This record gives sequence, structure tokens and C-alpha cells, in this order.
Amino acid sequence: MARMKFLCDSERCIECNGCVTACKNENEVPWGVNRRRVVTLGDGLPGEKSVSVACMHCSDAPCMAVCPVDCFYHTDEGVVLHDKDMCIGCGYCFYACPFGAPQYPQSGAFGQRGKMDKCTFCAGGPEVDHSEEEFKKYGRNRLAEGKLPLCAEMCSTKALLGGDGDVVSDIFRDRALKRGKGGEMWGWGSAYGKPEPGTKKPEVKS
Amino acid sequence: MSKFAIALLITVFGLSACGDKEGVVVYKQGSYSGKTDGKPWENAAFAGDKSKWDNSIRARGQNQNESKRIGD
Amino acid sequence: MLIKKSSADSNTARRGRLSRSIQGTSYSAQLPEAIDRRTFLKRSGVGIGAGAFASQLPFSMIDKAEAMGSKPKGSDAVEIKRTVCTHCSVGCAIDAEVQNGVWIGQEPVFDSPLNLGAHCAKGASVREHGHGEMRLKTPMKLVDGKYQKISWDQALTEIGTKLLDIRKKSGPDAVYWIGSSKHNNEQSYLLRKFVSFWGTNNCDHQARICHSTTVAGVANTWGYGAMTNSYNDMQNAKAILFMGSNAAEAHPVAMLHVLHAKENGAKIIVCDPRFTRTAAKADQYVRFRSGTDIPMIWGILYHVFKNGWEDKKYIDDRVYGMEKVREEVMKWTPDKVLEATGATEEQLFQIAKTMAENRPSSIVWCMGQTQHTIGNAMVRAFCVLQLALGNIGKSGGGANIFRGHDNVQGATDIGPNPDSLPGYYGIVPGAWKHWAAVWGVDYEWIKKQYASEAMMTKPGITVSRWIDGVLEKNENIDQDSNLKAVVYWGMAPNSQTRGKEMLEAMKALELLLVIDPYPSATAAMAAKARKDGVYLLPAATQFETVGSVTASNRSLQWREKVIEPLFESKPDHVIMYLLAQKFGFEKELTKNIKVTNNEPSMEDTLREINKGCWTIGYTGQSPERLKLHMKNMHTFDVKTLRAKGGPCDGEYFGLPWPCYGTPEMKHPGSPNLYDTSKHVMDGGGNFRANFGVEKDGVNLLAGDGSASKGADLQFGYPEFDHVLLKKLGWWDDLTEEEKKKAEGKNWKTDSSGGIIRVAMKVHGCHPFGNAKARASVWNFPDPVPVHREPLYSTRPDMVDKYPTHDDKKAFWRMPTLYKSVQQKNKDVGKEFPLILTSGRLVEYEGGGEETRSNPWLAELQQEAFVEINPRAANDRGIRNDDWVWLKTPTGAQLKVRAQVTERVGSDTCFMPFHFSGHWMGEDMLQYYPEGAHPLVRGEAVNTATTYGYDSVTMMQETKTTVCQVVKA
Ligand code: SF4
Ligand code: SF4
Ligand code: SF4
Repeated sequence: MARMKFLCDSERCIECNGCVTACKNENEVPWGVNRRRVVTLGDGLPGEKSVSVACMHCSDAPCMAVCPVDCFYHTDEGVVLHDKDMCIGCGYCFYACPFGAPQYPQSGAFGQRGKMDKCTFCAGGPEVDHSEEEFKKYGRNRLAEGKLPLCAEMCSTKALLGGDGDVVSDIFRDRALKRGKGGEMWGWGSAYGKPEPGTKKPEVKS
Repeated sequence: MSKFAIALLITVFGLSACGDKEGVVVYKQGSYSGKTDGKPWENAAFAGDKSKWDNSIRARGQNQNESKRIGD
Repeated sequence: MLIKKSSADSNTARRGRLSRSIQGTSYSAQLPEAIDRRTFLKRSGVGIGAGAFASQLPFSMIDKAEAMGSKPKGSDAVEIKRTVCTHCSVGCAIDAEVQNGVWIGQEPVFDSPLNLGAHCAKGASVREHGHGEMRLKTPMKLVDGKYQKISWDQALTEIGTKLLDIRKKSGPDAVYWIGSSKHNNEQSYLLRKFVSFWGTNNCDHQARICHSTTVAGVANTWGYGAMTNSYNDMQNAKAILFMGSNAAEAHPVAMLHVLHAKENGAKIIVCDPRFTRTAAKADQYVRFRSGTDIPMIWGILYHVFKNGWEDKKYIDDRVYGMEKVREEVMKWTPDKVLEATGATEEQLFQIAKTMAENRPSSIVWCMGQTQHTIGNAMVRAFCVLQLALGNIGKSGGGANIFRGHDNVQGATDIGPNPDSLPGYYGIVPGAWKHWAAVWGVDYEWIKKQYASEAMMTKPGITVSRWIDGVLEKNENIDQDSNLKAVVYWGMAPNSQTRGKEMLEAMKALELLLVIDPYPSATAAMAAKARKDGVYLLPAATQFETVGSVTASNRSLQWREKVIEPLFESKPDHVIMYLLAQKFGFEKELTKNIKVTNNEPSMEDTLREINKGCWTIGYTGQSPERLKLHMKNMHTFDVKTLRAKGGPCDGEYFGLPWPCYGTPEMKHPGSPNLYDTSKHVMDGGGNFRANFGVEKDGVNLLAGDGSASKGADLQFGYPEFDHVLLKKLGWWDDLTEEEKKKAEGKNWKTDSSGGIIRVAMKVHGCHPFGNAKARASVWNFPDPVPVHREPLYSTRPDMVDKYPTHDDKKAFWRMPTLYKSVQQKNKDVGKEFPLILTSGRLVEYEGGGEETRSNPWLAELQQEAFVEINPRAANDRGIRNDDWVWLKTPTGAQLKVRAQVTERVGSDTCFMPFHFSGHWMGEDMLQYYPEGAHPLVRGEAVNTATTYGYDSVTMMQETKTTVCQVVKA
């Protein structure tokens, strides 16, 4: 069973924002809502590192646990999605999320929060696959086309990997072995928990 | 604060802040109460063939491995 | 649903940074302190913590986008159109998904050997072009200071009449044609032909101000003015030195190959005045003072010579003039280098050692080296370093010169250049006769179109100087009339220096014509400067037409048409044809080219190019061969670019030029230039014999035993012509048919391609001969590169030691000043103590109007800024994010945000060059045609840049000038 994960290799990421605009492009995300963004640490200083961040689709998702209306669900592939028709825009998932992934467009004249929006792993949402409804609320459903998230597929340096956790960690491990350096797998631990014994998880080096 | 307490608080807040919400949704703490979603292979492209879908996903995954394309 | 809808009060929403003051909660707690404004708050528009709730900025175009572009993939058939990114020279392939004529999706092309599916921000957002709203939608005319919509008919009639009028009154040289490096090859080529038939050499394009110094410097060193190897070949390098290139922002997908090489052990070195994102990935970074590239390189070469690391056999066999270089280099002792550059002996020794011990080692340069008054010398110094190390003509080595725009290489090769007809034939009568024959027009007829034969063979004004063509006193310029009309055909005005004077020049014109998909800053500047006499014509983008494009590595790719031209726009070649009709030479323009509905066939145009461009091997790339490559990308190897099996077996991807001879000869293209380890029919070669066979008694031909693999002549030889063929007894290898055409011709002018065929295919020899590269280029002002201080320098002591050139009188038709400007401004550093340099942001391209009109990109960089070191900022009481005035000696001042960062040294300020639309503190929004302004506007650095031009090519100085920054 495929278990979908994201991994950003900070040794590779050059902060080109390809992943960010790929997401905008594929999901027609409006100005002001950023499902994915790139964070740079030590900007302009030796040792500068960048990492691309979006919803990590946590194994034990804090957003899900705190949602008062239980609009989140985990798909069989490990993707964390939510039903926008239920979302009340309360913002609790944002506070719970270790990655700041949930986003809220402003709605109405009084600056009320709109329904939460976040990365869907390009898997649409709880509507008929490829329907107008699904696209308008959640964006494109690439998984249902047998494809992976566009941000990862288009990353300029293949720093951002997305897909079946085993495949992704294999790719990363081979690369890390070759260069003799792991690179920070930023967020992997907090999203997916400690590597389980016996499973081949890439090493986390800080 | 325990998770449960947060959940409680939120429930109260949620209800009071959203008076205009249709009153038909029943909140059941701890389990998803929204619309159901289909499987990604249950559509025209894959006609319910999960292994076909798995293969497609695996192949796409390898596209992110430039060493594969480069051959080293 | 909310994700798609915009709120009602969109017009009152504040554009710009949205959450600057809000500090983070959960998210920021995750991160170390040092997240800077630029990379996070400013870019995300959402930012940290509670910022996620900040107001968004909806635009009307989001609804429009929804209507046009964003359909789910429903049941209707989806067509896949393969095209190529238009934003840089990497040449990333794109699969566009089109449904009912609407561009609904964009898929990565994993099969492409160039980009393997990868894209930077620009490439990943090109679909926006398919429904972008901020386009120029109809022809427009400036009436009483406002742009008004007019019909194509009216526009063409009025423009045609006015231009013909000016031509009659002031001659054909009174009109200046600025073409585009974003035109495809066929359009670029047609434009050069078009301008010739109009009767002038006054035409140019972006290459002048991006890599003209490279092209001239490199071609004069070893033969061709282009990147020698490829992005892909850098995977074979063991060390790579970047100097004046910030590939991570300017050519992001190149970094896929570079980082892959790094992981395989290659050492990455970056020398730059600024700690760039590329530097962040380097093993060694050295900061140096802007404009001192030659002392840096000589400082490195000093250690190479001192330690005997040069490749002596290679130099003996293949290089002319290295001893002269050595003399100059050994003068640059480490103390002198330190004094000039700020780099230490140890740092440069380390670079020399890394480059020497990790061969093949490669170098990369871009505009950091080219845009200087001595750019031609800087690039040659870099070439010399590689020659000394024996790295040229080797896989993994080479001079990897990254070009800028997607087709700047192609437009340089065959486009609107003021000093050459397509294919670097020059503009001597012989060149005109060659092309007249290819075009099927009478040489005498072309001559009549020109003011005189003298003007026909005199290089035109360069784009960097058109403003002086308007403003300079008539007696000082080397043509009859001053410029009266300028045509901006796919070029941004804010990419040229001295913007303040440009505004004056615009005022003085009789007619300004802008042809562009985006109305560009030209339209806004023009409306600020004048009340009438400006026309705008909407051009189609490259996604709305077909044609070939040459990537930096010389590979040609064929673009399919993704969608029909949006709004009332027309492809550039259609506009050319329509204007030619007005001028009465449309028949001559398209003699060999089929025209359907006013559209000249791009395939036929390429076939005509194939028939004429023997010099640089643009002859083998027939449309059929290119299309086959586009369909079979997966068969090409990534490291060698060579097809393994399949229909393109043995060919290199995109038939990188030179792809010699006729398409039937099946030359595979040349992946790495001058590579003697391969047979010429396998893409091998050697240095070009273009400078005679001897100089002052010294042999210029290659040494004995040095030749391309398998050549019948294993020694140096001159270029092939009918005489040489006969002398060698090879004349009878020609067919009777070929003999008729080849008689009296050389390999460049033989229209049968027979001389090339016999030399290459039968005898394995290079048609352009086999010579040495020139470390000393005797026809340039400084044959051996010499350091000269920029005209505006903060170091009067250096000006004394390393003064600039003497003033020149008639240089590209213009008087050009050096010493007088430098002397006058010797103490300019007192008032303007900071060095001002400029460069790229990954989100934007060139002048930036197109990319700043794309909301997916514009959201990421919302304001122009200046980077200033904390020390310099504190001395001026400036804090991060403050508004500041940046002032320069031209009297211009720019209002920008200060970004206080260690990225620049304390003597240097950096500004990105992509902004326009603010003019010394004023937002120019009101001057743009309605609904066609870029979403993000800001101060253009070039509004404030100073005078200064390269002594060979008239490249403008943008990289080293001076400024002062004060709190606003
Ligand atoms: S990253 Fe945040 S939003 Fe995504 S699953 Fe984890 S907690 Fe939820
Ligand atoms: S596309 Fe890749 S390299 Fe570029 S910012 Fe995103 S993760 Fe980093
Ligand atoms: S701008 Fe250059 S690197 Fe970026 S996607 Fe386009 S071609 Fe590739």
C-alpha cells in the first residue's frame, strides 16, 4: 500500500520557487493563499539553506485531532484531506499544525476567515473525481490521474520529492549515500514519527 | 491543556461563531463526518484497477530520481 | 467556494507585503531565528503565524482565469502540445494540455534530456500565458496622452504612412529597429531580412546588452561565439568555477546538472561580489570587488604558471600567444591582486589548485563578466585560463557561457544584428551577394533600398546607444540623419542603461512603435514623455505560434502551437509581413516562403536558413529532423546528449550547431565544440582557422599531430575552398552537380554543400580548417586582457594605476567616451561611496514586464529593493525594510526598500534589474494602457545607471557603477 509523503532535500533546494508556482498553476490557488512556500534559513550567510514547505500529510495529524467539526480525513494512501463544506474557518488546525500549512482566504467585507485551504497532495477532495466541484473547491486531482503532486514533479533540482514514502526515501538514501551527507530532512520526523525499526527510512541528520 | 479540552472549547466556539451554518451536520468527535471520497483508481482512467494505479504512481515516483534517467 | 472566489472589495485591498509586522506563532517556533523578510514574509503574502489570516488580494483576473483556463479534465479530449519554456536559455520542455482550444494543464516532460521534467518558478507558471489578462489586447494609439484602442487596419495604415514619410524625409537610417531575443529563430531571421529590405543596418536586440562581449571575445579567441559545451556536459566536470553567474537564480535548472555533478564529487567554486544562492551551494566562495575580474583571473593563473600546472603540450599544439599572456599575468603578484580585488593569495591559490587537480574543470560566466567597459577583455581572460589548463575541447571542461533569453543564442546567430547578416557573414559586399542569392533577390535591388553602398556595409547603431542616436549632435554621428523613429519589437527599455536620458530621447522622436505581447515599460515611459506619436501593436507569445528556438548549448528545439493567439494579437512574423506589404517588399521578403493568410511558413523559413547558414552549421537542422527529435526525447542520453538507437540514433539532441552540411549529409550536431577526441562526423572538431595562417612570422595553424580524430590531415590546415580542394586532389570527390556550384567558392558560400561534404564525410577534415586558439587577440584594443578601472569608480588610486581607454570618435556610428568621463568623475566616490551592481531574481525575466504581469510570479516578489550591508546601513541610520533613496551621479534617485543583508559586502549595493513602472518615486500606473499594467511595479535600476560602453561591442556597463543610499 502506497503511503504518500513529501521530502525536501535542503542540500539541493535552491529556493527557485518552482514548486510554489507549480502548485499555483495546477490548483489555481488565488493570490494570498500559499499551499506551498519556500523558507530560507541563514539567508545571505554561509551555510544558507532552503526548504520547501507545505502540508506534510502527517501520520498522526494534529490538525485532524483538534478540528471541532471533524472535517478532516486520512485517505488510504495517507493523504490528509478535508471537507470544505463542513469547515467553519475557525483556525484551530492552523495553530495545531507544526508546519503552518492551513491557509485562510479572507471572505466577506469584515475580513472573516474563509474556509481553510491547504495542500491536498494534488488529490482533490471529497467530490467526484475530476468534477467541476472538486476542482473549484480543492484543485486538481492528479492522484486520480495516476500522477504525483506537480510541485515535486517539477522541482528544478529534484530536491522536493513526493510520492510513496518507500520510493521517496529510497531515492533520497541513494543520493545521500553518494554524497556522503544526509542533508536535513526538515520536518520528516515530526510529520511521520520516528523511523520504525526494520523499515528503511532515510537517516535524519541535523 | 489536554487535547480533549481543546476539542471541547473548539466545539463551543465553533457553534457560537457560526450561527449561519445549516443545522443539519451532526458533529461526532473523533471521526470524520464529511462527504465520502472515492479511491483514486475508481475512475475512467483506471477503471478500478488498483495495481495499474500503483504501477503508474511508482513510475511517476522514479521520474524524480534523475539518476534513473541519467543511468548512473 | 472560497478558494476560487475573490472578495467584493478587491480594489481597496492593499497590494504588497501583507503581514510584515505580524510575528509567528506555531510556524515560526519551528524555525531558527534567521528567516529573512525577502524569503518569507514578503514572498508568501501570507507569511508566518497569524499572517495566514491576513487579507488576500483578489484580482479580477482570477475570475477570468477561472472562466478560461481552469477547467477540470472532463470528458472532452485533451490534446498534448509540446513546447519549450520562453524564460531562459536552458530550454526546458513543456507538455501543454489543451482542451477545446483552452490551455488547461501543464505537465513536466521527464523525457527531455535537457531538463528531465524540472522547472523553476518561471517555467512552472507559463500556463498563465494561456489566459493572462494583463496583455496588450488590441492595437492602440497615444492620443492626447492616453492610449486609445484602434483597429489593425488603421494602425498599419498610419504606421506605414508615417514610417515611409520619415524614410523619404530623412532616409532609411532614421528608423531604428529593436528586435527580440524572444523571437524564435525564423522570426529573428526574417526580421534581419526585413530590416535589410527597409534599407538599414540600424537594428539590434538583447544580445548586445547581455553577451555581445562574450560572442566577440570568444569567437575571436577560438572560432565560434557560443557556449562550448552544454548544461548536461557539466555532469562530466570534476570542478566548476562560476564567476559573474548566479545560476541558481538565472538558470535554475542548470543547477540540476551542477548539483548532480557535485554529488558525484565535482568541486564547486563561486567568485562574486555578492554571496548568491549559487554561492550557497559552493565548496568555496570568494568575494571580490566588482569590476576586477581580470586581476582575479590573472591572480589564479599566476598560481597555475608558478606551479607549472598549465598543460604545456596542449598550449604548444593548440594555443597562440600564451607567452604574451604569461608576461602580463606574472605582473599580478598576490599583493597587487589583493589590493585591486580584495581576494587573498591563499584563496586564489586554492582555486588554482582545485581547477588544476580536478581536470576536466569547467567555467561558467554570465553578465557579471560581460557588462563592463572592458567586458570583451574579461571574457577573454577567462578563456585564456581554460586554454592554459587545456580544458577547451574536452567533455567536462569548456567555457560554459550561459545565455539569457530563451532564444538569445539563436537571435545572435541569425537575427537582427547591426554588424552582420544571418550566420555571422558580416555585411561586406560578398556577404550581401551570398544572401541575395539565398533570398532569391537582386543584390542591386537591395542596394537601392539603402541610402548608399557605404551605409550598407557600415555597422549600425547598437541598442545600447539608440538614445544617443536621437540626442547626439548631428555632426558627431556617423550617418546622415539622427534617429527619428524607434521600433521596440519585443524588448524592454528598462534593460538599457541611462534611463533618465532615454525619457528625453523618447520625447524627441517623431514616432515610437511598440510591438509586444505585453505593452511593456516602453508604453508607460512614452506616455509619460509625450502626448502622441506612439503606437502599440499586440504580438502573440511563442506559445501562440510555431518555430525553432536555440538553447544556450546550441541545441534547436521545435515548438508546437499551444493555443491560437489571444485577443487581437498576431504572431511577429505576421506583423512583419503586414508591414512589409505597406512598404512594398512583401514579395521579396517571402520569395521562397509560402504565405497563408498573411502568415509566412515557419518551416519554409527554416529551410531557407538551412540553405544559407553554412558558416555556423544551421544547415543540417531541417524542420523534419527537429520535429523527430522532439518526439523522441527519451532516446537521448543525458550526459552525452546522444541518441542511443531509435530514429535519431547517433545524433545529438536538438542537432546542436554547428550541424554542418545539408540535412541529407546527416551530421549529428556538435555537443562540445573543438573536441579533437571525436571524428568530425561524430561531432568532433578543432579550433577554427579564421585569422590567417601566420602572424608576424608565427604559425597560427595547429601543431603536427593535433587534429580531430580520423582526419586525413593530421596537422594544422587552413579553411577549405575550391583552390584547396584542387590542390589536395579532392576536387573530383565532388559530383558534377556540386562542382558547378562550388567553382570559385569556399565552404561558406558553396550553395551545394559539396565542399563541406567532401572535407568532412570523405576526408574527416574540418571545413573551417584547423588552427590554434588565440590567447592574444591582436585586433582588439587590449590584445592580452588588461585590467582597467570602470568609468565610475570609488577608488581613485586604482584609476591612477589602471586607467581606462582613450575616447573614441566614430564607433558604431557614435562618439564614445572613456578617459574624459573617468577623469571627470575621479573623485565621484566622495559623494557616491558605494558600488552599485545589479542582477537577477529567479521569479522574473529581463525587463520583467511579462513576468510581473503573471500573478503566480508577481506574488512572490512584490517590491523593488536594494541590498545593503548592515555596516553600510548602520552608518546611514537605515534599518531593514526602510524606504530609502538610491542616488547616482546622473541625478537620478530611486525609492526602494532597503534589505539589510550580509549578502553584499560593505562597499557594495545590489539591485535586481527586473522592475519598472515606478519613476523616481512616482508610480506610473496612469501611463499604462488601461488593464494592461504589470501587477507589480517598482523602480528600474537602469533609470539611474551611468555612462560606459565596452570598447569592442558597445556593451553597456551595468555591473559596476556608484551610488549613495539615504533614508527616505
Ligand atoms: S502538516 Fe499540518 S495540515 Fe498537514 S497533516 Fe500535518 S498537521 Fe495537518
Ligand atoms: S522547486 Fe525544488 S529547488 Fe526550487 S524551491 Fe522548490 S523545492 Fe527548492
Ligand atoms: S526559465 Fe529556464 S530554467 Fe526556468 S523553466 Fe524556463 S527554461 Fe527552465
